[in-house]
Amino acid sequence: MSEQNTTIDQLNDQPNEQPNDNEQPGEQKSFVKRTISHGFFKFFVRRLFWLVITLFAAVSLNFFLPRLMPGDPISTLIARLAAGTDAELIRRTIEHFYYQFGLYQPVYVQFFTYIGNVIQGDLGQSFSQFPRPVSDIILSSLPYTLALMIPAIFVGWILGNVLGAVAAYVRKGFDKIMLPISLFITGIPAFGMAIILLTVFAVNLSWFPAGGAYPVVMIPSWSWSFFMGLLQHYHLPFWSMVLLAIGGQAIGMRSMSIYELNADYVKYSRYMGIKDRKIVGYVFRNAMLPQVTGLALQIGTFLSGALFVEIVFSYPGLGTTLMSAVSQNDYPLLSGLTLFIIIMVLVMVFLLDIFYAIIDPRVKASLVE
Amino acid sequence: MKKRIFSLVLAVVMVFSLVGVLAACTDDDPVPTPPPVDDNGDEPTPTPPPADDEDENGEEPVAPAQVFRPRVVGEAFEMPEMVTELPREETLIFGGLQWEQPQGWHPFHGQALNFAIDQVGHGSRTLVYETPFMYNVLTDELIPLLAYGPFEWSADMTYLTYRMNPNAVWSDGTQVTAHDAAFTWEAGFYTHGGNTLWLDFIEDVVALDDETVQVQAVMYGDVPVFARQVERFIYEVYVLQEAWLRDLLERNDFDADEIAADPGYDFVWSGPFTRFFGDETRNVLVRDDYHWSQHDSMWGTVPTPRYIVALILEGGNPAVTAALMVGDIDMSQHFISDVHLLWEEQGLPISTFMDQPPFNISANMPTAHFNMTIPMLRDHVELRRAIAWAVDYEAIIANAMTNQSPTFAQYPRSLFAPVPGEQALYNQAEVAHLQWTGGEVDRANDLLDETGLFPMGDDGWRTYNGERISIVASAPSGWTDWEASIEIIAAAGASIGIEITTLFPSEAEFYDFTAAAPPNPDSPGIFMFWTPSITRVGAWDRTRWLISSERLDEWPHNWNGANYSMFHNERANEIVRQIPLVTDDAELRALYTEAVYIYLYYVPSFSLMYRPAMFHTVNESVWTGFTEAGDGRNVPPLNGLSGYAVADLFNLRLVG
Repeated sequence: MSEQNTTIDQLNDQPNEQPNDNEQPGEQKSFVKRTISHGFFKFFVRRLFWLVITLFAAVSLNFFLPRLMPGDPISTLIARLAAGTDAELIRRTIEHFYYQFGLYQPVYVQFFTYIGNVIQGDLGQSFSQFPRPVSDIILSSLPYTLALMIPAIFVGWILGNVLGAVAAYVRKGFDKIMLPISLFITGIPAFGMAIILLTVFAVNLSWFPAGGAYPVVMIPSWSWSFFMGLLQHYHLPFWSMVLLAIGGQAIGMRSMSIYELNADYVKYSRYMGIKDRKIVGYVFRNAMLPQVTGLALQIGTFLSGALFVEIVFSYPGLGTTLMSAVSQNDYPLLSGLTLFIIIMVLVMVFLLDIFYAIIDPRVKASLVE
Repeated sequence: MKKRIFSLVLAVVMVFSLVGVLAACTDDDPVPTPPPVDDNGDEPTPTPPPADDEDENGEEPVAPAQVFRPRVVGEAFEMPEMVTELPREETLIFGGLQWEQPQGWHPFHGQALNFAIDQVGHGSRTLVYETPFMYNVLTDELIPLLAYGPFEWSADMTYLTYRMNPNAVWSDGTQVTAHDAAFTWEAGFYTHGGNTLWLDFIEDVVALDDETVQVQAVMYGDVPVFARQVERFIYEVYVLQEAWLRDLLERNDFDADEIAADPGYDFVWSGPFTRFFGDETRNVLVRDDYHWSQHDSMWGTVPTPRYIVALILEGGNPAVTAALMVGDIDMSQHFISDVHLLWEEQGLPISTFMDQPPFNISANMPTAHFNMTIPMLRDHVELRRAIAWAVDYEAIIANAMTNQSPTFAQYPRSLFAPVPGEQALYNQAEVAHLQWTGGEVDRANDLLDETGLFPMGDDGWRTYNGERISIVASAPSGWTDWEASIEIIAAAGASIGIEITTLFPSEAEFYDFTAAAPPNPDSPGIFMFWTPSITRVGAWDRTRWLISSERLDEWPHNWNGANYSMFHNERANEIVRQIPLVTDDAELRALYTEAVYIYLYYVPSFSLMYRPAMFHTVNESVWTGFTEAGDGRNVPPLNGLSGYAVADLFNLRLVG
């Protein structure tokens, strides 16, 4: 409230843009709105500009970094084809692959070819699944990862924040139990959680399947039984991610909420006789802001979270594809996947900036300074 | 209201994501349409099987017990209708054999379905395409598949002949003929996967008539350059249909690159299975219920499972193990440490070929090579011997292989795999004094001390020319049993005062200083590599691999020819040249014994373990009848796929 008043005062202090005395209050508000809109537009363009610059830098790094990895990617490919094969044949095959992948060209030529192709949406052909296009591999893996990670992130985020907020508000026994459990869960690495769930619930108890995306005897179809099969295989990887997300989010939310609950404006509100329920609403809204940042970044970097869980459960998403690309020095696939991650992160950060500008009055104020 | 909107968004995201999964699953790999019945488009009249089928009295043979009958010429395969769920009691599921989604369906393609289409020396996989013969690594025998009856060498050994089984039929209903075999050879010259491996040994492959194939040998004087390589050719190389091959070559302008990239979805096959469904999680093959193998001249039946599923489990060994334990996989090809605990302690219906160590047949000998471009290692055989003697091989076998390898006490070290055929090739008594079993630290220390070249320094490490000896030992990162072996070599070094540090680079980086480029003095001093496996020529291949220097000039891309130790010995080269030409068994044995002597005396490298060609582990929850040692069937434990191992598929029955 007070910040908004300050903003209007600041606006009124500006000599050139000050409305004249004859203006009505409605016109004054409209002026403020116009000013904020103008500031917001400038802010948007500025952010967009930096987004493009960052994207170009990231795409460049994305091209060069895999090529700095030691080892010849063609060697790995050849090692699989070479057993029992004649050396002359291998030599011809290697030459064929070098030509096919353009590796005989100078690196700068490869780079500009790469940039040109990326602009046209062509990410090249995979080394390890030659001649399959990289975009095709990514698109076939993407739905699995999205289906797994997006709901897991949201469910984990919501449950974690609710638990953290309740723990901060209730304290006592609930907090004493919730905090150590959350700390314990957060300490477990992603692959460790996945292996624990796999061993206990799939291998020992046989409650859930041990891996894969759908039952081993099924052929994908638009049927209820296939959907149920998908769901059955979804549980363990999903809960692995959710449990990990809950722990971290709950701890963060708890700390922020405790801080906010002790803030001056809470005490002041109480002295003013504002209802507790209303105050709690303010508190958790303020405590939520860093959590929103965390959520956006989590969505942006969901692939890193997916990596271990997908590998342990042989879930055919982007994580397993990334792992396969790294182990086989599959430059085009690796670049395609990391480009995808980069774009996701940049887009989420960009949206977060815009979102913040809308929801956070402090940021809104800065737009018109 | 806000909560409702949020919940709605969440639900929509999840539904759309799942819809995406479904769409991704169904969009991939359309099932190929059955090929046309014949070129004219006319519906041919089915003809009865040829006269071979009848016995001497002209009576029809007894009809086989199964419901189906073998296809006759003129009948084309018809793809069965797609199903949404494969009946488990008709489905055999494999794990650990396919790691990527295949991109092609013919053997000249760079990324074919290697689970089913693989031409290898210990026996090609004949689910889709077939070879004239099947190789049995247990007995070193060739069993007819597309061929009818045994092959025969001509009296002057200039060629061998075999007859095509007249009952063998392609999926498009045409007969498999000798002309197909001859044209497959011809087509090989236009492809990357072609004939270069065989040109040193095979002059030509010709069809004498519709049934008779003649494989002409390259001669050295009056003997074939290598008769057993010619025999290997007829069990390793598929016969493809001439008409389809011509089409493949012509539509790709006879360009090897184009042919290698052509997925060949319209392929014509002769094997009992074909492509049914595939995505990034599995490949499903469906049985040809009218496959010609039901003919009495072949198996007399079709494979028991109607569907074969090869799961792609990107999670690697742990994922495959978990799937095997819960019965999602019937047959697995992957290393499981302490595999015996699965049945001994957990009581699971899981078994291997043998129920005692080493559990499977061993075919390969992962070997530690000394880098003999390093002067210290090249010039001092005592140093090489001492390190090799000090290594605790039993620890490697017990820890790295969890006893899934025979010990060097059971099969003393030589150049040969622990199978009867190879072990019989040399006189063990003549080299017994050179064979070591490992862990001989005192003997190794004594040897080093005797030379006086490697005195122990004050810090407890030996020195050479006044400097502390330090050797790097390497294996690719993530090859856990190899990494464990290298660690044990390092420990052996420490036990005799020689510092050995370990290096585990990525696989690609590892190849940079082994196969892809010659080792040099800056490369690791010790590094591991595999050796050729059991084949018709495995003993010679391995001998050449380990001690012949004739192919060292094949670098910068030496993957299959040379010893990575860079060991030079003229007598060894002579022996390797001579062996293929020798037909007298006694002479052959003498040559091999001498080769072993050279190898054990100079120690350019030393094998660390014996290792199966394929890990063969089965879960008998659904199927039983898999090969077992001592069951009298002599079917090799190669996952029911390689060479004569395919006999298992015709022997399976449901549990209970």
